[in-house]
Amino acid sequence: MVHSGAMPADHPAEPDFERPAPDAYRLIVDSVVDYAIFMLDPTGRIVTWNAGAERIKGYSPDDILGKHFSVFYPPDDLEARKPWYELEVAAEVGRFEDEGWRLRKDGTRFWANVIITALFDESGQLRGFAKVTRDMTERMRAEEALRSSEERFRLLVHGVLDYAIFMLDPAGRVISWNAGAERIKGYSADDIVGEHFSVFYPPEDLVTRKPWRELRVAVDAGRFEDEGWRLRKDGTRFWANVVITALFDESGQLRGFAKVTRDMTERRRVEQTLTEQRRLVGHLVEAQELERRRIAWDVHDDSIQSMVAVGMRLQLLANRLPEQEAAVVRQLDEAVRASLGRLRNLVFRLRPPELDRHSLAEALDRYFTDVAGSWGMTYRLRHELDHEPPAESAITIFRICQEALTNIRKHARASEVDVSLTSTDGGTLVEIADDGVGVGDDVEPPSEDPVSDHFGMIEMRERAETAGGWWSVGRSPRGGAVVRFWIPTAPGVSRD
Amino acid sequence: MTDPKLSVVISDDDPMIREALREVLDAEPDFEVVAVARDADEAIALVERHAPAVVVLDLRMPGGGGGRAAREIRLRSPNTGILALSAFADHDAVHEIQSAGVGEHLVKGVSNHDIVAAVRRLGRPERR
Repeated sequence: MVHSGAMPADHPAEPDFERPAPDAYRLIVDSVVDYAIFMLDPTGRIVTWNAGAERIKGYSPDDILGKHFSVFYPPDDLEARKPWYELEVAAEVGRFEDEGWRLRKDGTRFWANVIITALFDESGQLRGFAKVTRDMTERMRAEEALRSSEERFRLLVHGVLDYAIFMLDPAGRVISWNAGAERIKGYSADDIVGEHFSVFYPPEDLVTRKPWRELRVAVDAGRFEDEGWRLRKDGTRFWANVVITALFDESGQLRGFAKVTRDMTERRRVEQTLTEQRRLVGHLVEAQELERRRIAWDVHDDSIQSMVAVGMRLQLLANRLPEQEAAVVRQLDEAVRASLGRLRNLVFRLRPPELDRHSLAEALDRYFTDVAGSWGMTYRLRHELDHEPPAESAITIFRICQEALTNIRKHARASEVDVSLTSTDGGTLVEIADDGVGVGDDVEPPSEDPVSDHFGMIEMRERAETAGGWWSVGRSPRGGAVVRFWIPTAPGVSRD
Repeated sequence: MTDPKLSVVISDDDPMIREALREVLDAEPDFEVVAVARDADEAIALVERHAPAVVVLDLRMPGGGGGRAAREIRLRSPNTGILALSAFADHDAVHEIQSAGVGEHLVKGVSNHDIVAAVRRLGRPERR
């Protein structure tokens, strides 16, 4: 209990403490069960025995009082005269402490922490010894378990090949080295332990004192992560992912750093290849569009104009000829006009989708209005796009939609087309479903030009796959065909 | 006394079309092709000089295209009827024609008869 010092004066003062009964110390010692506490006479014979002693050593007082304490020592200690030596030391310096194996009554061993204190009377005469023994077996086992787990951990770290895992002292010198470090960096432990870790950095990083900055950040923030070029022993470079963790002891003192380094060269190469591939796809799409535009204008400026002019002249000619010949010429004019229509369709399909002026959805809407409308088909366009796809993706999507619509016109006998655009999985998913005869049906009439139709399917699929996406055709719930494809949003070069 | 002939200016950058159009229109006894232009600037200048009853404009021509020519012609020769010929009947063509104030619009490849009829409608509106 704690009392305030300011007590009213008329209160009776409580006594400071009650004097312990003369046998209080004996009671305390007797009842302690965690420590064996007992007394030896000057020769080492046991004269008192407490509950802890009985619990730890297994002897009752009757068993043990009057016996020499050497009964607790294993034979090899007896051979070395250890009990007598311990008493001599305690008598000489006042105290002896030891840890070691001791025996229980049943002969089993326990790991004991022992303190022997010499007891002298006022005249300096040795009266005997106080002996306090603690059973440390459990603690020793725990320590042993910790040691062996540390050893396993050390072996684990040492054996890891994919990561360089090593430690630095607070100044940045290498103090441990694993197999992964040797594999990745090319130094053996003998080469590198004791060296400053800045040897792993290329000259441009040394100029900016990067290694030292990294340690400072690790100390301040606990951790530092970086990706960059590092040097192998032979001077070659590798692209490394590096994590430095500062290690502090319980008192908050910096003990050093753990450094884990991974060789990312291969991954970086793969990423760069991918980026390069995507860049080439972009160029390919651009080149295709350019080529189509050129063909479109060639056909438009040359073939169509000539045929228009030829048609006009044939009509003039027919008007000037006798009826019999005129009929033949009119037929020629009809033929010219029919192929004019086909060429015009071709040019229309080849023309650029004007995605520079319109969003993808608008461009598709305009195209479908022009085309589906003129074929007597109704269409619905739904779009839920989080963002406008980048140019080459948009062109690919537009061109595949165009081809799909051409296919529907040629084969599906459809009256309705549903088109949907959705942003999903980092790309655009497109579905074009019709209510026509569906795919693979026997009712499908043989195509006028099976090779080019097949080519249309292949073209759609190739376009999607070249852009890094996929394409498929199946049966829509309404019985017609559904073309589904997904085009990734172009490659923001990987940032992670 | 017969009416004076209906004067027409033709413009198209394609020589084959120019010549064919000229023949088609000249074949009509009441038409007279007074000039033939090869681009927009020529078309504007020739229309301004001749003030024809009708100009036949190709929508896609060098020098700003038929759209620009049509707008200029409306200003400089307001009585000249404008017949636009285009390669396509798509959004852009229709939009350009509407904004330029073109009287009639035909897609290339229509019959000569349709062209002649359109020119006549524009050139002699009172005879409808």
